[in-house]
Amino acid sequence: MKYFRMVWRNVFRKKLRTGLTASSIVIVLTLIVILASLLQAMQADPSGGRGANRLVVQHATGLGNFLPLSQRQRIEQIPGVVAVSPETWFGGVYKDDKPENWIGQLSADPDIYFDKIFDDATIDPAVNEEWKKTRNGFVAGQKIAEKHKWKKGDHIILKGTYIPLNLDLVYIGSYNAGDETNIFFHNEYLNQSDWILANKVTGIYYIKIDSGENVPRVAATIDKMFENSDAPTKTLTEKQFQLQFMEMMGNVKFLINGISLIIIFAVTLIVANTVAMSARERVTEIAVMRTLGFGRGHILGFILSESVLMSLLGGVLGILLAKFVFIPALVAGGNKTSISIWLVNFKVSPETLALAFVVSVGVGILAGFVPAINSSRLRIVDGLRKVV
Amino acid sequence: MAEPLIRIENVEKIYRRDQIEIPVLMGINLDIPEGEYVALMGPSGSGKTTLLNLIAGIDQPTRGRIMIGGRDIATMKQTELAKWRSHTIGFIFQLYNLLPVLTAFENVELPLLLTPLKKAERKRHVETALSIVGLGDRMSHYPRQLSGGQEQRVAIARAIVSDPKILVADEPTGDLDARSGDEILELLRRLNEEFGKTVVMVTHDPKAAARAHRMVHLDKGVLHTDELTEAGVGRRS
Repeated sequence: MKYFRMVWRNVFRKKLRTGLTASSIVIVLTLIVILASLLQAMQADPSGGRGANRLVVQHATGLGNFLPLSQRQRIEQIPGVVAVSPETWFGGVYKDDKPENWIGQLSADPDIYFDKIFDDATIDPAVNEEWKKTRNGFVAGQKIAEKHKWKKGDHIILKGTYIPLNLDLVYIGSYNAGDETNIFFHNEYLNQSDWILANKVTGIYYIKIDSGENVPRVAATIDKMFENSDAPTKTLTEKQFQLQFMEMMGNVKFLINGISLIIIFAVTLIVANTVAMSARERVTEIAVMRTLGFGRGHILGFILSESVLMSLLGGVLGILLAKFVFIPALVAGGNKTSISIWLVNFKVSPETLALAFVVSVGVGILAGFVPAINSSRLRIVDGLRKVV
Repeated sequence: MAEPLIRIENVEKIYRRDQIEIPVLMGINLDIPEGEYVALMGPSGSGKTTLLNLIAGIDQPTRGRIMIGGRDIATMKQTELAKWRSHTIGFIFQLYNLLPVLTAFENVELPLLLTPLKKAERKRHVETALSIVGLGDRMSHYPRQLSGGQEQRVAIARAIVSDPKILVADEPTGDLDARSGDEILELLRRLNEEFGKTVVMVTHDPKAAARAHRMVHLDKGVLHTDELTEAGVGRRS
């Protein structure tokens, strides 16, 4: 600590140069935090890991094809299966096509949905019971309910798009869960559609398994069971089911990681150039310090500390900007766009903070390493000779 | 007879540039007893600064021994030598070489940061050193806020703060006006006489050299003459 004052003042010796270099680190770290948080949000498990005992059965060819409702009874017979809820993505239009009015609309079996399948979600038992009894009732995630300021008894109309039916639903109450962007209504109410009735189909099955160790076996059994039927299935864990939406966008993770690495490399070169310039200008001072008795290790430590300090200052500012300015702004702005679903969990996690901190320190160390080594190896007489 | 504080035995220094060998010092033998004030003189390129650097332990001889206080510093490793320098040698440069980002106090405190002294003890030592050089009232000034003479006095305070036995000065008045130069020479005399420091000073200025006890002339890397000054004669008698 007794050297900190000197290191600090050396960092700010050329304020403009340090300011410009630190600004580049600010920009990079802001970007890294935003990208890492976005990636994490896209990969997040809304149940926070509590959905490990849940499976999702979809048509083997993809979500565009429906599954026959007759499969439900057969799945329920498989040992280890606790409950099966057919679920259909309605995909209707609420109010208009504007992105801010986008809502996840799913039909479910209210008799078992919150009691057996999504038992990690929190719902007022009175609300749950009333929902079960109200055929045209719906429950909504608290976040989406608050966004649209729904009050109990409010009616909403969902205009069907690919299912030829308009739903007139009554708001019963809200639930709390990791993902609160969805509303749930009765399968029975959806079944009034001639199209659903005629085809007796559902989009997917949500299944609760009694224990984690039975999950692979049950998944394999289901897919084997319907392998040679008209509707072969693909059974996924809840996490896999959610990740496939991200995969639809291409290898986003690879792209984000690639971009991050490139900008980190670029900023490392910028910082390295600044540190090298600063050390080169102080060759005589370094020689004087060596003359006074400071060893090579001291000089190495000073130059590295300057590099790390500069990088850390820029990094911390970048992290703060990302966390308190840009991400809240993006969430506010993004809620009105089609990416709003990804913004549910768009926040800076402790892991991302730790990553950003490590990147800041790492850039400082990498950038300062060569100038620090060169400075520490400087022969005193060579350094002093530059004076005269 | 007691061993001199500085004993230079058959010292040679040869610089190598590419394949070419440039001899800078040849067969130098010199004894400097403790408490002596020696001026190294000679034309440019005579090797006087190189000899000073060897005595200060910031350069290594090609051949020969440099015994300081009975220890051959030519055989010391870099880390050991750095530690040795920090408490044995006080270096005064022609261009002062203060760190511009530090105040006068902090510049003087610098060598003490290498010691186990506590903050309060360091403060006491720094204040003492600065008051010896007459700058007790300029402690919070940065080098840019001081005159050349004041800067050199801060540099001298930095050189003496860790109480080294030897002060080496490379043309300490070379960048100063006559009056400031005189003040610095007077300060060096006081440090030698009142505080018992052994002073080895490189200078081109015969007036500055006359303040020393001995004048050692070098020419083309060879010790040419070694004679007592009037001050030296007076001191011995």
